[in-house]
Amino acid sequence: MDLIAGLIQTSILAGGVLALAALGEVLAERVGVVNLGAEGLMALGAITGIATVVAIPNPALGFLCALLVGLMVGCVFAFVTVYIRANQVLCGLALTLMGTGFAATIGKAYSGMPAPATFAPIAIPYLSEIPVIGRGLFTQNILVYLIYIVLPIALHYLMFRTRHGLNMRALGENPAAADAAGIPVQKIRFWYVAAGSALAGGAGAYLTLAFVPSWSEGVVAGRGWIAVSLVIFAGYRPLNAVGAALLFGLITSLGFVGQARNWPIAAPILSMLPYLGTIAFIIVPVVAWQRMRRIMAAPAALGEPYYRDVR
Amino acid sequence: MSVRVQRFPSAPPSAALAARVVAIVLALLVAGIILAGTGASPLKLAGQVIKATFGSSFGLEDVGLLVTPLILTGLSVAVAQRIGAWNIGGEGQFYAGAFAATGVALFIPGPSIVMLPLMFVAGAIGGALWILIPTLARAYADVNELITTLLLNFVATLLVYWVATGPWLDPGGQALATTARLPHDIPEFWGIVHWGFPLAVVITILVAAVLAFTRWGYEVRIAGSNPQAAKYAGMPFRRHLILVMLLSGAIAGIAGMFEVAGTVHRLQGGISNNFGYLGIMVAVLARGSALGVLAGAALMGIILNSGIILQTQGLNVSTVLAITGLILFFTAIGDELAHYRIIRTEPAKA
Repeated sequence: MDLIAGLIQTSILAGGVLALAALGEVLAERVGVVNLGAEGLMALGAITGIATVVAIPNPALGFLCALLVGLMVGCVFAFVTVYIRANQVLCGLALTLMGTGFAATIGKAYSGMPAPATFAPIAIPYLSEIPVIGRGLFTQNILVYLIYIVLPIALHYLMFRTRHGLNMRALGENPAAADAAGIPVQKIRFWYVAAGSALAGGAGAYLTLAFVPSWSEGVVAGRGWIAVSLVIFAGYRPLNAVGAALLFGLITSLGFVGQARNWPIAAPILSMLPYLGTIAFIIVPVVAWQRMRRIMAAPAALGEPYYRDVR
Repeated sequence: MSVRVQRFPSAPPSAALAARVVAIVLALLVAGIILAGTGASPLKLAGQVIKATFGSSFGLEDVGLLVTPLILTGLSVAVAQRIGAWNIGGEGQFYAGAFAATGVALFIPGPSIVMLPLMFVAGAIGGALWILIPTLARAYADVNELITTLLLNFVATLLVYWVATGPWLDPGGQALATTARLPHDIPEFWGIVHWGFPLAVVITILVAAVLAFTRWGYEVRIAGSNPQAAKYAGMPFRRHLILVMLLSGAIAGIAGMFEVAGTVHRLQGGISNNFGYLGIMVAVLARGSALGVLAGAALMGIILNSGIILQTQGLNVSTVLAITGLILFFTAIGDELAHYRIIRTEPAKA
């Protein structure tokens, strides 16, 4: 019983990183821009979070600063991919290299230092005492509720229940038609890509302020890439993305439990699980159910810059 | 007469080349400004780098040692690009090649003259096997190979870390977290540079020739620039795609074999030194040209070596990675801007 309770708690905690980054990626990809810089943005957010709380021990401030750094870097990325229309794959890879490298360079001074202020889990009275599920669901840090409940529902409502959301999705599918209908293609793309990048930065801070919580080189460990993959698996939908992230939190925490309980499997092998799981989850569904390809298809104009004057 | 800027569907090679030069200069400039901001003197550092690199044959030998794997990881990415595939998994295939070659060297006895070719083949097969699943998923289910190849990098890193600290840990026990020293070395070719260097150049020229002068290479090029046209023309797109991607993986695997048998001599975690990721950079700089890979690798080798020289100044491999990203970023912008030309138009006569 204790095992299951611990598993639920760790899964939700671990999945939060992926959920936040994946939500950011959903925003960018729905308007037609692939942001492969998620990994680099997370690294920048992670180091920003730590550096902030070392200076001023307030985790909320650290998280906010990481969001801001993500937004600023995201604005540069969005300007280059949306307005200059440079190749999105190359710019994303460049952002990943820059972010990872730069964060590691300034992170030397913070390496191995435990975060002086963190988002501590808060036990909600009574609810957290429910056997088995209580601890997992109701003894979490405040960000968890934001990431799993507030943000995805808000984004789902925005994307699928409002006129603005329809416009937004339209320019991911057919920017020329959207343009003809008077929707400002470049402007909306720019702001959603920037906002998505901010969430990726926030995911990095979540990693170093709530999950690990400390900085070390390589702390992001491919979570940005897993988040990008989750978005494909989730069919570019915010609620699915959060569900998928939770599933991957479970896979990650299985590895932790295995190490803690001395399962006869080497720790590095257990650490492979999230990566292998991600690969399986993006390959198996499309092979097993052909119909999935159509239902969960990517936005039609994904990755294509929009030129109004060239036909 | 009026002047306007127009975007053309293709960029002239001269403009693309100019864009690359500007991108590199700009990136180094930005890096220099940031360094100056931290109180270092970029000019002094640059002088130090140039003296340490070109001042002696030792400096050039160091570069040669770094260029060898970069040529192959760059070629690996460039080959896959020919058919329009993104192999971002060079890092993983590099590890897989090194892993397979080490396995052969440690567990099969034999003279070096037999074993080295065997390790070479093992490295190539290891790299090819590591890209097999992404390849089949792309060919038969249209699963994005960019992400699957990349995710396997993390798996390969963990695999090598595991065998080097666990099952294959040096039984002699002097070295921590590495395998025993391999019994077979690739002999030296020039100073400390081993024969992997000329071999890498030969492999690149061979691949470039096959892609340029054979029917197969022609069909691959067509399939890369327009898959629909290739299919209508009756070219076996899927078969070409599979073969090219496996070749791409094998080349990265060979890079891993060269590194472990020629340079490091032991399998250990972190052996790939980001060569797989830097290979992407090499291929982008080369603009998909197999021979351009040689120039791109030389440049990246010098940059990487500079990072190593400047380690005492507080720089490190991560800084090099960041600067590489900066170059890639400016290159991507430059590539797009190279499509634009200023054209003059005569006003229409009334």
